[in-house]
Amino acid sequence: MDESLAEWFAREILVHEEALVRFLARTWPHRDDVYDLRQETYVRVYEAAARSRPASPRAFMYATARNLMADRIRRGRVVSIEVVGDMEALNVSLEEPTPDDKAGTWQQLKRLADALDRLPDRCRHAVWLHKMEDLSYREVAARMGVSVKTVEKQISKGIRRLAQFYLQRDTGDAGTGETAAGSAREEPHG
Amino acid sequence: MDSHRDIERIAADWLARRGDAGRAWTDADQRALDAWLSASTAHQVAYIRLDAVWQQADRLKALGAGVPSGEVPDKSGWRRSPFFAHRSLAASSMAQPAPTRARTEGDVDAASGLSALRFRSRSGRPVRRRGLRLAGAAACVLLAATVSLGGWYRYAAPTEAIEFSTAFGDVREVPLPDGSAATLSSDTRLRMALTRRARRIELEHGEAYFQVVADAGRPFIVQVGETRLIAVGTRFAVRAESGEAAPDGDRTVRVVVTEGAVRLEPGGGVQPSSPPPLLTAGVVAMVRGSAVQVESGSPELAERALGWRTGDVVFSATPLAEAAAEFNRHNARRIVIDDPALAQMRVDGGFRIHNVDGFVRLLEVAFDVEAERTDDRVVLRRR
Repeated sequence: MDESLAEWFAREILVHEEALVRFLARTWPHRDDVYDLRQETYVRVYEAAARSRPASPRAFMYATARNLMADRIRRGRVVSIEVVGDMEALNVSLEEPTPDDKAGTWQQLKRLADALDRLPDRCRHAVWLHKMEDLSYREVAARMGVSVKTVEKQISKGIRRLAQFYLQRDTGDAGTGETAAGSAREEPHG
Repeated sequence: MDSHRDIERIAADWLARRGDAGRAWTDADQRALDAWLSASTAHQVAYIRLDAVWQQADRLKALGAGVPSGEVPDKSGWRRSPFFAHRSLAASSMAQPAPTRARTEGDVDAASGLSALRFRSRSGRPVRRRGLRLAGAAACVLLAATVSLGGWYRYAAPTEAIEFSTAFGDVREVPLPDGSAATLSSDTRLRMALTRRARRIELEHGEAYFQVVADAGRPFIVQVGETRLIAVGTRFAVRAESGEAAPDGDRTVRVVVTEGAVRLEPGGGVQPSSPPPLLTAGVVAMVRGSAVQVESGSPELAERALGWRTGDVVFSATPLAEAAAEFNRHNARRIVIDDPALAQMRVDGGFRIHNVDGFVRLLEVAFDVEAERTDDRVVLRRR
């Protein structure tokens, strides 16, 4: 994996996740697809950037998302006139300022803290002990009175949720794949 | 192909497994991860996304710096970090304690400079407080208070003399032979001698907190250099400031009274024109030769100046130089400030006294400070 490409991707693309998800959710009629569309957009942007970095990453990301939706419509997976109409109108969002682009250290940390506090209790507990106190999973397990395997699962879940909450602070469940019902179903296996 | 949700779950599992310091990450693990990543761009993208945020989350340590180790605070309660206090984005529970009316004079927030020689007005502007002046104009002349060890006990033969000391980094409570107790801070040495007429402590270096049992017939006298503190039944701390705290080499003594009262007999060879001051509970006094500066607050605020006893130190608009000095009294790894302006910067927050790393990390993320770390010290500069 190309480290500099990964860094570029995190710096130039992932920071816009909140805006991207909002854009997808507004444009696409099926909220359940937003998560997949987001990841598909990322895949296309990443592959294109591996060949040549776009000069304007954010605009390129939106263009990619639009093309992706257009492809899906053409392939007949979704047929909806409104969707096409909406997409034309959504050029506007390209001009939207994204307050998070240049968020200072303080805002980033505040976001992280907020994201941490949104984790479910057990998950937050495990993440706290691991991240704040540098404890191994065995030590975390001893503190929490659970198995090492459980700690690893809680950390894995914490990683996913933190990313979601950190990158998409205000977008609710759209495109997260983590609706309330979804997360309840997840519990038994992770 | 797996769905994107499944991919994300697998990517998170990889990161979780990789992050466990207690489990060896083998070459086979790395090969398996590499194989998984190279199988699909979707895998890479999911992994990069989670990894980026998970690495960011390391910075939370700075925010948790004010939380005692071993504690997982509840969701609203952990933001004791200076960040949240400073930026007024903190929950209201994190607000600074209400300033306590100064007992002696003026509008002094006693919390603000418990360990400071200069006192701030509420507006934050440094104000040189007059405090209690013992010798009028003579107080301005800082006379060298040479530390003459043991001179005071020659005139009364001690019935017993016992030495107590702590190693660097150590804090220890010891019972004293008269039934009192002393808590010795890091790198402290004192001797106690009992005579029929007095209980005498000589503090050679370091700091000690005394819980004195009442014995009207035998006052409890603590001597540091030429400064003497006389108590009957009370609780107070005395610190012999190091040369670092007093750059001109003069010996400064800090006295913190948390209960009862202590009479101060400053040294310096100048006869006081007024009776020796009585330092009452809540007082933090800095004594250098015959010059004395006194700040009065509540006993609770005075207690906070003695956070080293429990390992929790609290800074409140404390100059960075003093905060660093407090850490340096207790940690082998020294904080060195390589910038005079930086030394004056004020810091807030509660810290574990041994958590130098947490403190420094906080400075780095919050205050544009750059830290250069070596084994035995951390040098701070402006970024």
